[in-house]
Amino acid sequence: MERTYYGLSQMAVRDCLRDAAIGIKDVDAVVYGIYNDIFEMAAIPEHPLQGIIGMTNKPGIRVTNGGATGAYAMHCAYAWVASGLYDTVMVLGVERATDCFDFESMTETPEVIKTIGWSGDTFFERELGWTASDSYAEVVLAYMDDHPEDLKPEISAKISEILCQQAKHNPFAQRRDEVVTAEMAMNSRYVVYPFKLLEMCVYSEGAGALIFASEEKAKAIARNNGKAPIWIAGVGASNEHSVAGPDYTRHKYMGRIWSDHIAAEKAYAMAGITKPVQEIQVVELHDAFIKQLQITMGEMGFVPIGRTDALVEEGIMTPGGKVLVNPSGGLTFGGHFVGGSNIFSTWSARREMLERGFARGLIHGTGSTVSQYGVVFVLERS
Amino acid sequence: MAGEKVQKVIPEHMIPPVASEIVERGGERYLQSNEAMFTFYKRTKGEFSKYFLGLRDEMKIWGVRCPKCGIVRVPPFQLMCPDCDFCDLKWVEMPHTGVMNSTPPITYFAHSLFQSWVPFGRGRVVLEGAGTALPVHVFTTKGVLTPFIFKKGTPVKVVFRTERFGKPTDIFAVPLAELSEAQKKKSPLMETDLDFSAPVEPKVGAATGAAKASYAKALDLLKELAVGVTKSPRAQHNLAGWTRRIAVRTSSGDFGLVIAEGRLSVTDKTPTGTPDLVMVADDPQLFVDWLTFKEALTNAIIAGKLWISLNREFTTIFKLDRLPRSVARDRG
Repeated sequence: MERTYYGLSQMAVRDCLRDAAIGIKDVDAVVYGIYNDIFEMAAIPEHPLQGIIGMTNKPGIRVTNGGATGAYAMHCAYAWVASGLYDTVMVLGVERATDCFDFESMTETPEVIKTIGWSGDTFFERELGWTASDSYAEVVLAYMDDHPEDLKPEISAKISEILCQQAKHNPFAQRRDEVVTAEMAMNSRYVVYPFKLLEMCVYSEGAGALIFASEEKAKAIARNNGKAPIWIAGVGASNEHSVAGPDYTRHKYMGRIWSDHIAAEKAYAMAGITKPVQEIQVVELHDAFIKQLQITMGEMGFVPIGRTDALVEEGIMTPGGKVLVNPSGGLTFGGHFVGGSNIFSTWSARREMLERGFARGLIHGTGSTVSQYGVVFVLERS
Repeated sequence: MAGEKVQKVIPEHMIPPVASEIVERGGERYLQSNEAMFTFYKRTKGEFSKYFLGLRDEMKIWGVRCPKCGIVRVPPFQLMCPDCDFCDLKWVEMPHTGVMNSTPPITYFAHSLFQSWVPFGRGRVVLEGAGTALPVHVFTTKGVLTPFIFKKGTPVKVVFRTERFGKPTDIFAVPLAELSEAQKKKSPLMETDLDFSAPVEPKVGAATGAAKASYAKALDLLKELAVGVTKSPRAQHNLAGWTRRIAVRTSSGDFGLVIAEGRLSVTDKTPTGTPDLVMVADDPQLFVDWLTFKEALTNAIIAGKLWISLNREFTTIFKLDRLPRSVARDRG
């Protein structure tokens, strides 16, 4: 209510520049992550931002890739810097989902779901009632067909509780004051089977900004602001087919999230990682749905596919476990302001790496129908 | 035609009036207004026209076969095979039976365009001979759709709607096991060939001592909830603009719930006249469980413990499900 996406953008840019201790004149180019034109009620929603964030007469590009918009915006910024085209690039992710309003139920949520519903295949699927939730549920249910012993209800409920507790330490978590126990999550109502209300992300509004810089510039910024730079050691991305079929190399195999698997594989190869559970200390994972979080952790090699309940049963992500997963509270408790969500995740991983001295972190983004898009970054601390 | 009701691309009841209002937050005043972003289309189905005309006029399902690799894709979502140097594909007529590609999701909370369908299933059927899966609605002829009727590999048959528009909704799938031999053989099978009998309100059993105690406890908790709603802005927001008279029958007695003007009221008797919704539960304990955060009403319906008279009233169930949590959150 208090801010439009213009105002949210200015707030994020101001705070990002202050943290980096640079001025906007030091930034060569900007990449905007804004998912859905309909949320912002504007085609080309980034155009009014260029001037008000102080980037007049500089290059700017807008990225929109479903839920993975923020991660793909970062992917673009990385490529711009790595190619040597620009030295310092800002990524600005922003979204205002809840201006959408359903005048029948007099609530925002159904209209937000409807807006995202325009993202489904418009010829063959949308008119069947396609939603983001039922689309991801298809993947999870197909995974459960293949692995009926995994994804036990009490495990996803426990993960929801863990994320809720972790959100208490994040000043920007939008559901920081909420208390969700495993029992409450377990007993919350189904939205789309097998997804329960307290085991899924909440669409929201917000903005986040990051600075991507060349090695020389990053070191200069670090000298200036006194904070160690975080290096991008690995990048991977993959988009699957959108139509279902048994062969994942030709179509979407519904029981897996190959996009996450392939993206992680590429990022690990680039970063020289062979045992992620031993080599990565903090993961900020795009938890659109808790059960999807579990499968994605399997696809990224932290637990075996078919045994993702080990995340809790073997204490891998429970407090004090081998990997700190979503210390921000994730999108479930942090809030899912789509274009900015992966940027928010990156902010959190960087914070944990700086404050706790972790050597490596991982950022993940997922999006589009049937978890079609996957992006993974491996981060390293100096 | 004069007097004929014309269906609009945007249903008129969804269109809000031109209006604006001031909302106060943190001592500041903010202006918000009712707006819409709309675009009308005359959109071509282009290369997919044969497929959609097949559904609408021929009651046939067309797929495309690659002459090089042999894969048959249904729906025919492309003209050329990208795996075989973009060679042209050949149209093939498909059988109407196949198996579920995977367990289909069932939507309980839908947005306004699809709210009247809930609960509904959107699955993918691999028709015999196909190498991809066809997205379709899945239905059962046996009552409320629950998650365990369809799963990966369930044999199904595609059924054609009586009214067809050249859209994906012209067809749906039902379990083959629910069909008679004659229905299995008939092609095309029409929705009028199926028996979707109106669900009959179940009778409640005899009350046990435990159930009587649960009934009393449920009524007490419901009355507490009604008071809580009067003090909870979140709960009042949940109920805003909603009016329903609900009759609830249990083995230990009936009661009524009335939603009006952002409030909930509870009566020891069912409302007079025809209620908007009837709920039937043998064991009133499920209402205690709902109000003590042990099981949502939605989940009780899915589990078969609670019967409701109208699928479309799931929207009311969702509003009720939100109330205990909203009241608790505002209580702090």
